[in-house]
Amino acid sequence: RSMNVFLIVYLCILISKALINTVLKYVWQSEPFRDEPWYNQKTEPERKRNLFLQAFTDFLAFMVLFNYIIPVSMYVTVEMQKFLGSYFLTWDEEMFDEDTGEGPLVNTSDLNEELGQIEYVFTDKTGTLTENNMEFVECCIEGHVYVPHVICNGQILHNCTGIDMIDSSPGGSGKEREELFFRALCLCHTVQVKDDDSVDGLKKNQLSRRSCIYISSSPDEVALVEGIQRLGYTYLRLKDNFMEILNRENNLEKFELLEVLSFDSVRRRMSVIVKSSTGDIFLFCKGADSSIFPRVKEGKIDQIRSRVERNAVEGLRTLCVAYKKLTAEEYSNAQKLLQNAKLALQDREKKLAEVYEKIERDFILLGATAVEDRLQEKAADTIEALQKAGIKVWVLTGDKMETAAATCYACKLFRRNTQILELTTKKIEEQSLHDVLFDLSKTVLRHNGSLTRDTFSGLSTDMQDYGLIIDGAALSLIMKPRQDGSSANYRELFLEICRNCSAVLCCRMAPLQKAQIVKLIKLSKEHPITLAIGDGANDVSMILEAHVGIGIIGKEGRQAARNSDYAIPKFKHLKKMLLVHGHFYYVRISELVQYFFYKNVCFIFPQFLYQFFCGFSQQTLYDTAYLTLYNISFTSLPILLYGLMEQHVSADTLKREPSLYRDVAKNALLRWRAFIYWTFLGVFDAVVFFFGAYFLFENTIVTSNGQVFGNWTFGTLVFTVLVFTVTLKLALDTHYWTWINHFMIWGSLAFYIIFSLLWGGIIWPFLNYQRMYYVFMQMLSSGPAWLGIILLITVSLLPDVLKKVLCRQLWPTATERIQNASRHCREHISEFTPLACLKSPRYRSSDCSNSPARRSNSHSKKMMFTHWRGVDYSVLPSVFGYSNKHCRSSAGYRYSGSGLETSV
Amino acid sequence: QIDYTGTEPSSPCNKCLNVSWDSTPPCTCTINFTLEHSFESNVFMYYGLSNFYQNHRRYVKSRDDSQLNGDNGSLLNPSKECEPYRTNEDKPIAPCGAIANSMFNDTLELYRIDNDTRTPITLIKKGIAWWTDKNVKFRNPTGDGNNLTALFQGTTKPVNWPKPVYMLDSEPDNNGFINEDFIVWMRTAALPTFRKLYRLIERKNNLQPTLQAGRYSLDIAYNYPVHSFDGRKRMILSTISWMGGKNPFLGIAYITVGSICFFLGVVLLIIHHKYGNRNTSADIPN
Repeated sequence: RSMNVFLIVYLCILISKALINTVLKYVWQSEPFRDEPWYNQKTEPERKRNLFLQAFTDFLAFMVLFNYIIPVSMYVTVEMQKFLGSYFLTWDEEMFDEDTGEGPLVNTSDLNEELGQIEYVFTDKTGTLTENNMEFVECCIEGHVYVPHVICNGQILHNCTGIDMIDSSPGGSGKEREELFFRALCLCHTVQVKDDDSVDGLKKNQLSRRSCIYISSSPDEVALVEGIQRLGYTYLRLKDNFMEILNRENNLEKFELLEVLSFDSVRRRMSVIVKSSTGDIFLFCKGADSSIFPRVKEGKIDQIRSRVERNAVEGLRTLCVAYKKLTAEEYSNAQKLLQNAKLALQDREKKLAEVYEKIERDFILLGATAVEDRLQEKAADTIEALQKAGIKVWVLTGDKMETAAATCYACKLFRRNTQILELTTKKIEEQSLHDVLFDLSKTVLRHNGSLTRDTFSGLSTDMQDYGLIIDGAALSLIMKPRQDGSSANYRELFLEICRNCSAVLCCRMAPLQKAQIVKLIKLSKEHPITLAIGDGANDVSMILEAHVGIGIIGKEGRQAARNSDYAIPKFKHLKKMLLVHGHFYYVRISELVQYFFYKNVCFIFPQFLYQFFCGFSQQTLYDTAYLTLYNISFTSLPILLYGLMEQHVSADTLKREPSLYRDVAKNALLRWRAFIYWTFLGVFDAVVFFFGAYFLFENTIVTSNGQVFGNWTFGTLVFTVLVFTVTLKLALDTHYWTWINHFMIWGSLAFYIIFSLLWGGIIWPFLNYQRMYYVFMQMLSSGPAWLGIILLITVSLLPDVLKKVLCRQLWPTATERIQNASRHCREHISEFTPLACLKSPRYRSSDCSNSPARRSNSHSKKMMFTHWRGVDYSVLPSVFGYSNKHCRSSAGYRYSGSGLETSV
Repeated sequence: QIDYTGTEPSSPCNKCLNVSWDSTPPCTCTINFTLEHSFESNVFMYYGLSNFYQNHRRYVKSRDDSQLNGDNGSLLNPSKECEPYRTNEDKPIAPCGAIANSMFNDTLELYRIDNDTRTPITLIKKGIAWWTDKNVKFRNPTGDGNNLTALFQGTTKPVNWPKPVYMLDSEPDNNGFINEDFIVWMRTAALPTFRKLYRLIERKNNLQPTLQAGRYSLDIAYNYPVHSFDGRKRMILSTISWMGGKNPFLGIAYITVGSICFFLGVVLLIIHHKYGNRNTSADIPN
């Protein structure tokens, strides 16, 4: 994103450069002997051309000359880097899940670098934090608790709080209710039965009850049906609209399925209408407690509610079951209504909802179930790491507050010392929304100073952090636009509170509300990058809304994975994805972008300077082939490879130290400061190239046979220095060397040399000019040109090296400290010693022995290498500096004394 | 290094200041000078021009390389780039273009003054151009016979030249397009102030220096006008080592950079010692 802003800046620079040159050209040309000296006259049509037209053409010509400053090739490279880079994610073996046999999927490659910029993570609970692998734990009928034992099939062990076994259940009505409850659970679902594929009877007999597999869109239902099976009631199949149940006495019971009032996330319940064999019509309803309790007419509501709440606190998912008996006419009424609604052409959904509303009322409460949903492995670890990395984790769930809160504690989203702030319907009922919000903000903002300041050291545990719990109803109150326009205030206030909370839990959220929250954060004034992760269809809206959407390839179907930008098999993979891959992608892309601007500034600025010396005549400094190939082949591959391979810190370290993520947060590497630094570095280098070559060529002879060089040699010299500097600069920045890096960097330098030799070595028959003929070779045959090239490369790299060393020594960032530390570690283990450490002793000795009798230029080149590396890694910098100076200055004296020239 | 532009009234060449191209006989002038030191090895004689924009775009491209390479087609039909020096009186110009047209045409002769006797010093005019230029890049047109006059049939001389290209020199291997003075001129200079190799003075034997210290005189046939564009003309005598001519820039630059490196080395050593401990303890934040 910042890339485009930078581009605009460069466009301005380009235009202003062209303008300056055009204006100067006409100022300069105002004297006729300059415009048209006798040796260089214009043609007739040129002379007659309109002055303004001519000025405009000149302006355009300058634009063409300088247009390379806009790195067009950057876009190609960036796209390629993103596209190829996304494969690295797919190939990551650590993110491959063996259970499902699936690795991560990348649906878009545009967002790789955003993974390194995430500030808010919105996560779904069910299926994301938890495994969505349900286990039926208990049920509560009329206040009595039943716990199926996992091992003893069908045998019921009663909970100690319950007083009764099933056999000795008190009273006729109780027994009846109990039976009804189990039947209700058996009937009220949309589970389909799939016979075992291997239908040989032997196996079926062996497995007896487990002969069939239940399939459903919701794992809760499967868990319930399986649980009930263990309590003795087996759902067999749906056959010709008759649901067959095997009851505890192994009798087959048949119910005719009349209607299914299917589940939806707004109603949070589903119902079935069945007709028993005796002819009674029942409506069984199953749903979230909040949606059932208001509709209950009779039943032991209080007992069940307390049980439900207890279960919720333990992190169990609870469902309530209710029934009502329908008379024949009631049923026919309902059926008619349903039929009408289903046949409605318009607003069918709405009408259906209305009808459901009418039918599902006046229930008799039967009981409640509790299903356990285990946390995914390493979910807590992942959340902790994300929080350490400075990412705020929000949990958005449709579950009850207590359940969700328990899960949050379990996965360490809330820690024991977290102060929980509640913003729930209950609280709002007590006070007005206004007061609650102000109270909260006061609490939070009291610590505000320490909180925001200390975000960097936010790891310290003594700091008070806040967790906010908000529920859907309260949220909609906040979001609801008011007539007096004060809603904006609430929103701001709410955001302010949220921003200062380390963790936020939003429960009882409808899917759209999830998206609403994401949007709220996304559009807040800091414009943070948001990430949403979820597995089910109800998360899709949120996944689409967030900058980066991640789907979990989970049990609730693949909608989420398909609608997301990335899909991962497990929640724990998010850690690696953000902390390692995201970090890498960001570092790579930012370096890539900056480097591209840098290298094009280096490339074009000498051209600009040259205009001052060629009469503003748009003469190019470099040959056309160099102009064309610079971005295409001389400098493109190393940076592309850097963009793919760079690992400034090893992946393990990044994973171990989540706090390193803070170093790149908030677009740290693409801010204006960095951009200006790179641009100035580019300008400095360009000035060094140009004036270095200028002073080298000015009024002197640089060959040993006295012959002269022309303008093309001048340009080639500048270009050679340019290519080497730019490539070596990248080599300096590369921390992670593989053989491919070596191959690319040294290979592209070698390619440049070979190309130049070839380009100048032959009279190319298809060209109508032969200006490069032997220019490169002649240049290489001259000693001062070699010395000049080496000197200029050193000088232009020096400030960058200096800046790096100083910053590293004096103000090291966490990343750099880690880099140092890991280097030290490696030195101790003495395996994988970095390049410099390996080579420096050898080089150092060779330097010193060679320095007195140094003739060949290759030595000096090597020496400079050690110099850079030495300084860069701050290994004994002075030794290198000293030896360098020694060699240099002695050489310098020799050079100055070598030529003899006389002036009279 | 002798400036012989002649802008100052006292200069012997002042009288020639406003000569035109084709004044016959050429205006001549003589400048006397003294060498303080003797030149031991081979001496290179350069002419230098300043304020002359050989690198102007219009100028640089105003040539036809295939014509200069001896292509017969281009000889009679030069490239469009040569405009307005492409044709003259409906005849193609050989060599065409602004560069060729403005070729330097002063003649410089060097005399040693020994007790009022002027001994001419032999100036060698071969070996001043790149070998590859002379043998590969520049070629005379081919045809039957070696008579250059016949080969250049149908072309005309550049406007400013007094003689056609096939009369540049008497020696056949230094005439036409492969005349070395011409080749040197055709390699356009990078900067508006430049010098070009004119002649070589070879050392004759090991006993005597090439040019002894003493008085010399420079005879100039002043043809080349530079006054109109504020230019200057110079003659430079120089010896050359393997490092090329005298070049203070490299020496100074190396010394400067060397000392900066040394200074930085010291500073970094200090910093390293002062802050090094903090780093080696490797406080990994947790």
